Amino acid sequence: MPFPVDQPTPSCHPLRTAHRGWRSGVALVPSVLAVALSTAAAQEVERDPPPAAPPEDPTTYKKLSLAELMEVDVIVTSVSRRPEKLSGTASAIQVVTQEDIRRSGATRLPEALRQVSNLQIAQVDSRQWAISARGFNATSANKMLVMIDGRTIYTPLFAGVFWDKQDTFLPDVERIEVVSGPGATLWGANAVNGVISVVTKSARDTQGLYVEGGGGTELRAMGGARYGDRLAEDVHYRVYAKQLFRDDAATPAGDDRSDQMQMGQGGMRIDWDASPTSLVTLQGDIYHGDVEQPTLDDVTFRGGNVLGRWTQRLAEESSLSLQSYYDRTDRRIPGSISSQVDTWDVDFQHHFPLGTRNDLVWGLGYRIFVDDIENAPTIALYPESVSRELFTGFIQDEIELSQDELYLTLGTKVGHNDYSGYEVQPSARIAYRPARRHTIWAAVSRAVRSPSRVDRELFIPATPPYTIAGGEGFDSEKMWAYELGYRVQPVDWLSLSLSLFYNDYDDLRSREQVAPPAPTPTVLANGLHGYSYGAEFAGDARLLEWLRLRCGYTELRIDLRPDSDSTDTSDGSGESHDSEHTVYVRPSLELPWRMELDCTFRYISEIANQDVPAYAELEARLGWMARRDLELSVVGQNLLHDRHSEFGVPATRAEIERGVYGKVVWRF
Amino acid sequence: MALLTEEPGITGLARARGRSGIRCLGALIALFLWAVPGRQAGAADAPTREYLVKAAFLFNFTQFVEWPAAAFPDDAAPIRLGILGEDPFGRAIDDTVQGETVRNRPLVVVRSRRADELKDCHLVFVARSERSRLDEVAEAFDQAPVLTVSDCDGFTRLGGMIGFFLDGAKVRFEINPSEALSHGLKLSAQLLSLGRLVGPEIGAPPR
Repeated sequence: MPFPVDQPTPSCHPLRTAHRGWRSGVALVPSVLAVALSTAAAQEVERDPPPAAPPEDPTTYKKLSLAELMEVDVIVTSVSRRPEKLSGTASAIQVVTQEDIRRSGATRLPEALRQVSNLQIAQVDSRQWAISARGFNATSANKMLVMIDGRTIYTPLFAGVFWDKQDTFLPDVERIEVVSGPGATLWGANAVNGVISVVTKSARDTQGLYVEGGGGTELRAMGGARYGDRLAEDVHYRVYAKQLFRDDAATPAGDDRSDQMQMGQGGMRIDWDASPTSLVTLQGDIYHGDVEQPTLDDVTFRGGNVLGRWTQRLAEESSLSLQSYYDRTDRRIPGSISSQVDTWDVDFQHHFPLGTRNDLVWGLGYRIFVDDIENAPTIALYPESVSRELFTGFIQDEIELSQDELYLTLGTKVGHNDYSGYEVQPSARIAYRPARRHTIWAAVSRAVRSPSRVDRELFIPATPPYTIAGGEGFDSEKMWAYELGYRVQPVDWLSLSLSLFYNDYDDLRSREQVAPPAPTPTVLANGLHGYSYGAEFAGDARLLEWLRLRCGYTELRIDLRPDSDSTDTSDGSGESHDSEHTVYVRPSLELPWRMELDCTFRYISEIANQDVPAYAELEARLGWMARRDLELSVVGQNLLHDRHSEFGVPATRAEIERGVYGKVVWRF
Repeated sequence: MALLTEEPGITGLARARGRSGIRCLGALIALFLWAVPGRQAGAADAPTREYLVKAAFLFNFTQFVEWPAAAFPDDAAPIRLGILGEDPFGRAIDDTVQGETVRNRPLVVVRSRRADELKDCHLVFVARSERSRLDEVAEAFDQAPVLTVSDCDGFTRLGGMIGFFLDGAKVRFEINPSEALSHGLKLSAQLLSLGRLVGPEIGAPPR
């Protein structure tokens, strides 16, 4: 099934519209109806006056050369929710830096993500994307936790991301951390197969005026501006606005698909260095957009969010952070479900050392969402308005078993949600560093995807006789994950990483016949189980001063089966649409005359259960720094074919056309 | 739940404060705030990795700069590293240079909140606490053979010589070679090749 989130075809597997809401909550303070805190925050917390860092010997760094020092990652936070050096991280993480984004020519978040090889990414049509790690990809992929500055952006309706509206001003992004594999212990809700965390720069690092504009064939026009200044001695701010227009995707016959879109977004961020040890951040965005539909009226969406965060360093290696955000989003989809969703979230985290060998992080979270649904005759969510709460708590201890050599990390998340009650998600990780620049790691984790609105409350059509009549008994999907990894930097100019994984899933979503052998009605239940396994390899070689070569390879196998008492006949074809092989090769060249050339070649093997053929494509960007304050570039996307498809069943899928655009950037 | 529908966002938070749950949580947080070992430390006590790395950079810089002979009273005189303003390094910088020599000169670290007290230094790191006074700082070292380094925004545009910045998660630096030259300092080609060059006659692009 194609799975246009916006227009689920009633008869098809609406299943994939999965979503899931939140994960569980914590039991720690069940009485706290009102305020606890939730997961997301922490991450960027640890920046500027970075509150906490693992204990380190200062003299380790003085032995490094300047070039080596320039390669030390001083901040990486997704994995442990406090900064870590990338090469020592015990997890399958890849990082996209601002420089990577700039040089990729990406104009939207999903395009920026196309640079990491540990994600399955497919562009579905002009604006929809299917993005997941370690399988279970769908337009409504529901096993990923995705955050922008600590704000969770997957929708509680189906636990997937509406990628068309979730964006940020890319020049202000500091880095994007992509973890494949479970991050549930620390991050909780939805972090079953992976975590994507977008971190924007501090307002202090985005001072001055930045203006960009451009246009071309597929990206018809884009423009954006940011201005940053100082309000007071220790208070910096920035404001930004952007707008883009995208052309239609194509039908297999080559006609316009009538899904052109436009989107505008604006926002601000204020960072106040309240004292040398505390940082207060206030930020927010608003956006709106609309997307043409072939026959019905346009899909429209709008929304906004505001987020506040306070981080306090308490002592050496000890810090505290408190974050809260409010998010409203409204989406009108003629012919399908329209929704307004309000989310409010509070998250608290505390990090401190215990003795000389233990490094503890614990936190509490609370989230509530309230929605208001407008149903269509063909598809409905009942009841039409609900409010759901999620409580979470986590604790993790990193124990230094042998100095600078062997680390054991134990932790668990406990959560409570309104659908499946209490959930426990423990994990154990071990990292062995036999020598500098070598890390061998292994992990065992349990993660669950707790039910979301569609799993329990979806009805197709809106009135009986139903094809799908909800999923009253739908319980959490569960997974045990086993991982093994190795990161090494054998010489200064080369770094390599390899991760192997085996995931064992149970209680996956299925469609069960209510009165077999009658094919309908059906209900959503947990009748599938299965496993996936695979390998992720990434390499980064600075071959010459002017040539850097990065490559990635991911191998993925998934096998899903119905339980013996299940009447589901899909074998999981509604839940997972994945390629078995993904290859990325990315040469980056410094050319004379202050020019630079970047190419990304990708080969994606077929998606068997959608009959999407294997394809190879190429993106290329040629940039020229004409003056210190003026950068010109021309970007080609999907250059190898006039058009190709990446996702969806043949009958309804879109084809993505070759696109070329030019762009000008001024910095003042 | 009603919180949201009645009063979204922050207001809702404030209103919720009266509920007993909150007080519990507050007490819990307070407990951890105060029960944790350690004290409300200043930045100097807990250098982050960023500053551990920057300390190593400073040490490295001394190896790639040639000061005029007149900058040292004698052949055995130490290279003096000055920290101007609120020290973000703590002991890290002392530990880094401890026992090291550069061209047979030991290194010593001095700290001050006043630029004129650091005029006899060879390298001065200007902390972020001074970021509103960068003009004055540059003036204070006018003509003196002092390599000035900082992580304040715009430092190299305001008369500074080397400015740290973050590129993603990595520490990088920009160099204003003409400024260094006008102070009688020679920077090695290796240093110049690793930094991003800025300055009047260098057309190098900001990245």
